Amino acid sequence: MQKQILGYKCKKCGAVHYPYRSRCKKCGHTEWKGLDIVFDTVPLPDTGKLLTFTDVYALPADFEAVKLSLGIVELEGGQRMTARLNIERPEIGMKVKGKVELVRDNSYQKNFGMVFYADK
Amino acid sequence: MRDIYVIGTGITSFTRLEYPLAEIAAYPAVAALRDAGIDKVDHIYVSNMGGGRVNHQTGLASAVVDHLSMFPVGAETIENGPASGASAIKTAAMAIGSGMFETVLVTGAERMNEVNALDATDFVASLSHPLAEAIYGVTLPSLAGMFARLYMHKYGVTERHLAMVAIKNHANACLNQFAHVQTKITMEGILDGKEAATNNPPIALPLRFFDVCPVSDGGAAVILASAEVAKDVAKKTGKPLVKLAGFGQATDTHAVHEREDPTSLTAVKIAAANAFKMAKLAPKDVSVAELHDAFTILEIAESEEVGFFERGKGHLALERGETQIGGKLPINTSGGLKARGHAVGATGVAQAHEIILQLRGEAGKRQVKDAKVGFTCNFGGFGNNVVCLAFVRE
Amino acid sequence: MSVDVEQILRPVDHPMPPFPPKYFTLATGETMVIRQISRDEIPDVLPHVEALVHHDRDYYDVVSARVYSELLAHHKHRYQDQYVLVAQCDGHLAAVVNGRSVDATYGMSLHTLGLRRGLRVGAHAFAAKMEYHMDFLGHKEVLIVAESPIGFRRWMIEYKLEKRFAIPHELGGCPSFSLTKELFDRARGSLIVGQRPVPAELLKKAEAAILPPTDPPKAAPDFLAATRAKYDSTGSAIIARLPKKN
Repeated sequence: MQKQILGYKCKKCGAVHYPYRSRCKKCGHTEWKGLDIVFDTVPLPDTGKLLTFTDVYALPADFEAVKLSLGIVELEGGQRMTARLNIERPEIGMKVKGKVELVRDNSYQKNFGMVFYADK
Repeated sequence: MRDIYVIGTGITSFTRLEYPLAEIAAYPAVAALRDAGIDKVDHIYVSNMGGGRVNHQTGLASAVVDHLSMFPVGAETIENGPASGASAIKTAAMAIGSGMFETVLVTGAERMNEVNALDATDFVASLSHPLAEAIYGVTLPSLAGMFARLYMHKYGVTERHLAMVAIKNHANACLNQFAHVQTKITMEGILDGKEAATNNPPIALPLRFFDVCPVSDGGAAVILASAEVAKDVAKKTGKPLVKLAGFGQATDTHAVHEREDPTSLTAVKIAAANAFKMAKLAPKDVSVAELHDAFTILEIAESEEVGFFERGKGHLALERGETQIGGKLPINTSGGLKARGHAVGATGVAQAHEIILQLRGEAGKRQVKDAKVGFTCNFGGFGNNVVCLAFVRE
Repeated sequence: MSVDVEQILRPVDHPMPPFPPKYFTLATGETMVIRQISRDEIPDVLPHVEALVHHDRDYYDVVSARVYSELLAHHKHRYQDQYVLVAQCDGHLAAVVNGRSVDATYGMSLHTLGLRRGLRVGAHAFAAKMEYHMDFLGHKEVLIVAESPIGFRRWMIEYKLEKRFAIPHELGGCPSFSLTKELFDRARGSLIVGQRPVPAELLKKAEAAILPPTDPPKAAPDFLAATRAKYDSTGSAIIARLPKKN
């Protein structure tokens, strides 16, 4: 089953935020259910436009790549996210579409995250 | 709240130091005590980021008290990422301002070179958001690279402007015996010349090797005091009175992509405004400033956000030479983080050290004529926690 | 008698075209010349290499101990087909690189010893070495190993060197990596920098004498209690440096 990145929807005002935080960013509300903090979860859209990007050569120790392509994408609906890019010639403002893939594997922890491709 | 004054300051060389971390914090502290002509304080704050992880030294403040043989004086370590130094000064200021203490020593230290460069990069990357940024391999240079690209796209800042910042700060550091990097660099060598691409390789495009600060070991200290103690010290030492007239702090979202405007450093703007408000001063009153140039683009962006130049026009002021020593508003006369060096926990205190020297007229060849008001901006994380300080010579 | 034995012991080098010197502009705006040196100049280089033999940071000790032995052996005619290039800034030694020709196909990269930090001198010198193997000696592959993690990152990872683990490298018999002609041609744009010919005056200064390095790596002091006083009797002389004399 394809993994998805989830946004967290405030049960009081309906604002969606990503990543997770314990109080709503917009209205400050925390919804309690017993001792649990609850938000509704909504899958984030997988298309958007590329805001900015970089090719980074100074990498953490567990990456053997020469460089990584990273970017900030503004998704449909306004949410933004930081993600890996798999785009040959990135341009500010270009349309992109992403899917969740393995992005970091340092042998004791596997991390999945969004990788964006050019959206024709 | 009472007035707060600076009575002493000290610094180590920023370089690769083989001393234990507590000693790197103790040396500038002792130098500051000598500078003030006193031999005891009421409380000590130590600023440091990496002690626990990189140096295997937790409880650093206690170790420093012992190194200074100052037990039973109370002490804590203040950690606010790269803004630890200014945060510690702010905390000390509140301790004096509240009337709790008469003299407080603040000493910052960092010793990243205990581990290799890859592990140091890893460690600093721990400032990023673990789930939304770190998993992608985000390191601080990559956040700066993305910020720089958008900034350059929006305001017309070019690689040449970034190089100008680096060249200016390197030249300033050549006049600073404590600076980490004391080599002059040229536009031909890092940008125009045929070998520039090899001399200045990419780090996080559009940022290159000479746009990124070094990893330094070092320490710096200041001693803050009440007006009564300060006036006494001034009588004995004959040095001008320097007042910590204002401080301000602000935070922003952790993940950089969640900032309202990805080219804005809102926390810098608010922190600076708060500092100026408390000091009852305006940006135009400032004679000399130390801005946090961990990446050359940040000096330009911060110079606008704190209010020295109009938004999007900072690079033009740089072009006109206004931020050089001798210009209208010298920025980073010490060499800045780029060339004086960046010993994470110590940097905020080192910035204050430079301003204090400038206001006292003790900056030697780097002296800004008749410096009366000094300003520092210490940038934590990637702009999500910023502390600004305003100093005035009385 | 001894002359006959010498004829047996001394390897006969195959003819190798000389390395045409080239020059670079460093980040500081200074000019650096890279040129090949003859056996006669090796004694001028040895003391500067020797200074690093006990420097136990960043593998300087392993690299300089090996470079010392390679250069000395080359000087005394006990190394087959070795070449030595030096990088000089205003005559002062900034790097030493060496390697040798195994046969018509293979070159063996030996060492890259940077003696001036922070200016990518090693990167320029390494690239010059590879150019010599490929463009002048006509090799199809250059076998390379790295002693330090920095070297590994700069060469193996950055140039995507191919694995040739079946071939033991002359440096300690370790599994070799290879820069192939194909990889080299692809990286030519970024690898091959520097200009020729070197202006006559610049070359003359470089050839006149090999002067000591201006900013060589300094050995880290040892501050364990018993030995500290030996390096730092004042207790903090190295923690705050005096102003440079300029």
